[in-house]
Amino acid sequence: MTFYSLFEWLGNTWIGLAIQRSTWGVAIAEMVHLLALATLGGTILLVDLRLFGIGMKRQTAAQLARDLSPVFWGSLAVMLVSGLLILAGEPMKCYYSPAFRIKMLLLIIAVLFQITFHRIAVASSTGKAASIWSKSAAALSLALWLSVGLAGRAIGYF
Amino acid sequence: MTLFHLCQWLYASSFGTAIRESQYGFPLIETAHVLGITVLVGTVAIVDLRLLGLVMKREPVSDVLEQVLPLTWGGFLIMFVSGSLLLLSKAELYYGNPLFRIKLGLLLLAGLNPLIFHSTVYRSVSAWGESQVTPKRAKLAAVLSLTLWSAIVVTGRAIAYFH
Repeated sequence: MTFYSLFEWLGNTWIGLAIQRSTWGVAIAEMVHLLALATLGGTILLVDLRLFGIGMKRQTAAQLARDLSPVFWGSLAVMLVSGLLILAGEPMKCYYSPAFRIKMLLLIIAVLFQITFHRIAVASSTGKAASIWSKSAAALSLALWLSVGLAGRAIGYF
Repeated sequence: MTLFHLCQWLYASSFGTAIRESQYGFPLIETAHVLGITVLVGTVAIVDLRLLGLVMKREPVSDVLEQVLPLTWGGFLIMFVSGSLLLLSKAELYYGNPLFRIKLGLLLLAGLNPLIFHSTVYRSVSAWGESQVTPKRAKLAAVLSLTLWSAIVVTGRAIAYFH
């Protein structure tokens, strides 16, 4: 099975066809995608800035991350579902878009980074001071997630 | 000079035209506006979730607000500047766009909501801020905030569909 046949299959599911035939299907999925992006980005910003030693100083980054973890994963789940729906509505546009392919790659890297090095950096930042490791993890995290966002925006253009 | 004349003037100005017709200007500014949603709406949403007792429950409300709101203001700055530039370049077009007018109205309400909140129920935050459960009026402000900002994001996205 190739990616092409997978995208083709997705576009031919009943939900894919329903979205393609409706006038507002993709737009509504995009709006949900945007709203979940807001909350996802909010949690990433708060935790990574805390790793830099900015913001929520009365909590450690570890506590903050633990508190916001449900919002992070919940938002990511909504983004994945809404993203799939957008994809089902425009499978070939996405398939042929270099920006889409880059975005998917960056997304995988960002999530992997989040659950590995970033998690370790967060868990070990129980003091108030920011170490070189926590700052590096925060910088890389922000850069990765920002790139995902930028690539997503670029899909409309190429 | 009517509002429409002002919009026409802005649209035709060399600055507005430059943004609108440049290959990268409008897309870049628009990208900043869309990603800025994260900073403004994302942080507001987290504050609202605290007011609803759903996140950072062990943190006093005043602590959360004090530490998150500077970020929110930064986000507001990004959104205001990028939004103004976008409006400037498309003023004459947006004048007749119902979604844009609705979005502006919602923005005004979204600005009024925290003003009312801060000058009323928030005044007594030292009495209720430490607990997970907040007063009904604080929860109302949070629900209004989440609803208004969601509507703003949705209508903002819809503007392009009504061109």
